[in-house]
Amino acid sequence: MSKTPLPDDKAMLDDIAAIVEKTGCERKNLIPVLQNIQDRFLYLSEDAIKILSGHFGLSSCEIYGVATFYNQFRFNPPGKHQVKICLGTACHVKGGDIILENFERKLKIKTGHTTEDREFSIDKVACIGCCALAPAVVIDEKTHAHMTPTKIEGIFLGYEIEKEMKIREEKKRDDKDTPA
Amino acid sequence: MMIIISVDDKEIQAEEGTSLLKVCLDNGIYIPNLCYMEGMETPPSSCRLCFVDIDGEKNPVPSCSVKVREGMKVFTNTPRVRGLQWSAFELIMSNHRIDCGSCLSRKACPLIKISRHLKIRLKPFRVGHINSGNEDIVEDHPCLIYDITKCVRCGKCLHICEKIHGRLYLTFAGRGVDMGISFFGDSDDETIPCARCLACVKICPVSALLSYERYEHSPEGSSS
Amino acid sequence: MIDTIIDRINIAYAALKSGADEIAAARKSSPDPKIYIGMATCGRAAGAAEIDGIIRGLLSELDVKADIIHTGCIGHCYAEPIVIVDDPRHGFPPIMYYNVTPGKANLIVRAYIGRGDPLYEHLLGAMTENELIPSVMGFPRFGMEERLVTEHCGHIDPEDIQEYISLGGYSSLARALVMDPIKIIDELKKSGLRGRGGAGFPSWKKLDVAGSAQSEKKIIICNADEGDPGAYMDRTIIESNPHQLLEGMAIAARSIGASSGIIYIRHEYPLAVKIMRKALDDAAGLNLLGNSILGSDFSLDLEIFQGSGAFVCGEETALILSVEGHRGMPRMRPPFPAEKGLGGKPTVINNVKTLSTIPAIIKNGGEWFSKIGTSDSPGTAIFSIVGNVVHAGLVEIPMGVSLRRLIFDICGGIPNQKKFKAVQIGGPSGGCLPEIFLDIPIDFDSILEAGAMMGSGGMVVMDGDTCMVDVARYFLEFTQRESCGKCTFCRIGTKHLLTILEKITKGEGAMSDLDTLESLSKEIRRGSLCGLGKTAPNPVLTTLQYFRSEYIAHIEEKRCPALKCRALTAFYIDLDKCARGCDACVGSCPVECIFTAKGRKKGIDQSVCVKCGECVTACPKEYDAVKRISPAWKVPIVEKIKESH
Repeated sequence: MSKTPLPDDKAMLDDIAAIVEKTGCERKNLIPVLQNIQDRFLYLSEDAIKILSGHFGLSSCEIYGVATFYNQFRFNPPGKHQVKICLGTACHVKGGDIILENFERKLKIKTGHTTEDREFSIDKVACIGCCALAPAVVIDEKTHAHMTPTKIEGIFLGYEIEKEMKIREEKKRDDKDTPA
Repeated sequence: MMIIISVDDKEIQAEEGTSLLKVCLDNGIYIPNLCYMEGMETPPSSCRLCFVDIDGEKNPVPSCSVKVREGMKVFTNTPRVRGLQWSAFELIMSNHRIDCGSCLSRKACPLIKISRHLKIRLKPFRVGHINSGNEDIVEDHPCLIYDITKCVRCGKCLHICEKIHGRLYLTFAGRGVDMGISFFGDSDDETIPCARCLACVKICPVSALLSYERYEHSPEGSSS
Repeated sequence: MIDTIIDRINIAYAALKSGADEIAAARKSSPDPKIYIGMATCGRAAGAAEIDGIIRGLLSELDVKADIIHTGCIGHCYAEPIVIVDDPRHGFPPIMYYNVTPGKANLIVRAYIGRGDPLYEHLLGAMTENELIPSVMGFPRFGMEERLVTEHCGHIDPEDIQEYISLGGYSSLARALVMDPIKIIDELKKSGLRGRGGAGFPSWKKLDVAGSAQSEKKIIICNADEGDPGAYMDRTIIESNPHQLLEGMAIAARSIGASSGIIYIRHEYPLAVKIMRKALDDAAGLNLLGNSILGSDFSLDLEIFQGSGAFVCGEETALILSVEGHRGMPRMRPPFPAEKGLGGKPTVINNVKTLSTIPAIIKNGGEWFSKIGTSDSPGTAIFSIVGNVVHAGLVEIPMGVSLRRLIFDICGGIPNQKKFKAVQIGGPSGGCLPEIFLDIPIDFDSILEAGAMMGSGGMVVMDGDTCMVDVARYFLEFTQRESCGKCTFCRIGTKHLLTILEKITKGEGAMSDLDTLESLSKEIRRGSLCGLGKTAPNPVLTTLQYFRSEYIAHIEEKRCPALKCRALTAFYIDLDKCARGCDACVGSCPVECIFTAKGRKKGIDQSVCVKCGECVTACPKEYDAVKRISPAWKVPIVEKIKESH
């Protein structure tokens, strides 16, 4: 609960004012505004809620109470890659919980949390509607069907390779840029 | 308009449209309740203790949400009413830390009153104790302290806060069994009226909300 | 005067229709091949977007002009991604290809569109009756369905309002606009339509209450907050044919005199929201929504509200509170929303399927509708049927069809030659029915009587490998997580049910727990404030009633008969079957708990094993050496050989 303003506070104030301006600041606009803020900032920070409280004439406490009621809202920043594990009925019947556990073990975090390097976060989601592909996992926007624990290893290997390639490419570029 | 209803075969005069629970309480007929407060337009009916049987109704109904009508026949202690009350009370007690020795509510505790009225012990008999929330005691408010292990989620504190200040300085946060009171946000002693008000502390039936002052003088607070 | 209004409406509609017909005729007469790709959420999840890209790339490579149409979902999830090719140049009828992989997509373009080879080995069937290719209608999953609500789903472009109009869309609205509102409600009363959102209350009643209420403002809400973790038909309908829903909604609004409305869609359905947004704009653009619709005196403004994810918001009073910007905690009824709803105004809330059924009733009459299905539950039922069933997906059948016919004849039964064990109907509010109920007819009352509920229409088929105690635990975990926390019974009671079920699945239960489960369940059912709490114990009560022996095995023998509960089972490698030196299982283990035992065979370190079952899959079929056993203590002990270097 720090009192120090964030470096981009001014930007945040402006962004939120614009969102409120566009959506409205009556009570019935509260949830749509919260959704837009989360779309913009990826989560609802304490500062964002406090700024909103001014716009809506509600205590930040009350806004927080409303936001915590709904699954959509998160109060800590998500990882760069969001792992969403479907725990709909069909996925459960086909072992979705085992997949969840393996992700938790692999990333060493619990559901709803983000890894320390902010690379990955894990969330449970209700049916994503590909029951015929159960158990299913959505990472970022891509759906991975018929998941198994070994496939998880493969997925992370893919991300590691991608990261490594990026580093190498950057290095190459840097090497080029710096005159020999 | 004044009308006549019958409660447990006793005739009672009441203003038509008043809450049945209020009529009974006003006439010395006790019906267990935790979340009802006089003057509520729509009572939350959340504690599920004030059930009564009404002639013509298929199932027991919470009396707080029933408005009295002419000729209504009410029974407050039928076996199925008692069954529901026992069950609700047991559930509440399974989520309430029983520590009467160091609790500030003492004799004013409605839970003790209900247990006597229902002739049922305080400790749950079928189920174990369950915990809620991530932390037991919330201390991030400058003058209030909240103990979720005692809270019965009656919501009276929210109701009184909104009634007095027109806005909420405390709220229910979260959902389900983890739902509890939160003081999120304003923590500046200067901008919030809490230190001067403390209405929530006064109305909390189970001493789950305390002022720091009261907490420090309680056996629990002074021992720690 | 009145006649002029009627004329005006009829003329306005006729103009729309002829415009749409022209567009349709032009498309039909074009010689270019038409390629329909199912691009609803389920299709995309299966890779339809990738297929779309490949097809487009190939077409431009081969320089073939084609009309690519993105349709919604046809309901055959097992066959996604689905591509239908209508290329009359080759003399074949439109052909449906299923499970289209990039390779198949390549073949479809090169071999069929390019050379006229219909690829018999990859097609599911023809879309129309013909002499060359068997029609899909000969396939029970198509032929035995009766599509009323989902008729156009997967066949039309959901983002093309003209296509819907050319198929007769919005004609029922035009008709309703010239009807007396009371007559619309009468027609629905005659039809016997019951709300498709759960309990099956007669739909006309709500409309009647709100219709006769005196208020200057009334509101209609479409509830598309589909929260059942195994049901997705509302999303499919919106993504595949949003205009039918809008038409039904407008008719319902007209019947009560509502001038504004809200479509409450879960935010988890971004595609449905996007498609609905476009549908609203398109309908308003053609004056099918907005002020003086088609020149009548009826105006209706609809907007979208995105639900933020709370199962309880499917409950009417909670839904209203969340639209108003509050925590969605249900309140006591009465007053009912039809009397006092959103902002205190009379509000009618209906499910997507209910509203989507209305246009057909207005078009063909209530009496026609009342003859479909059974006399007490007229019409069709839409299920999303998933789990251990061959042809999973969305099915629409007339009410009264038996469960056996639905699961075995229409959906192909249980895969892998396994035995049917139970069917879960109605999601978290429903129940699990065993084999003896397979012959009951599917209708609101019969299913309720059996202990389940039509609910939202989720249906999960379970085979012998499903542990019923675990299923009950799964649903309770869901309802407990989704309980709003307001009332005592649901907040604390469901938590106790879950705790006890968790204990039993871990082998820590006692026989007395069964009595507690039963009595507590009944009390929660009676004492809870809203429908979520009242129905939450159903999965427990039905499994206790029909599969009690499984509970007893878990408690008394610490045995999970389905070999599912991980605390009660263990994996081991049968040394008689394990092949010397075959290391297939070793690499598959995510926790590296497989060691080498005597004779270069393998053993499992029970203290490390997480029971994921990967080694079972890895072990070559001809050996089949990895076994699962319950109770766990019966697992044979395999000695690890000391590693010598």
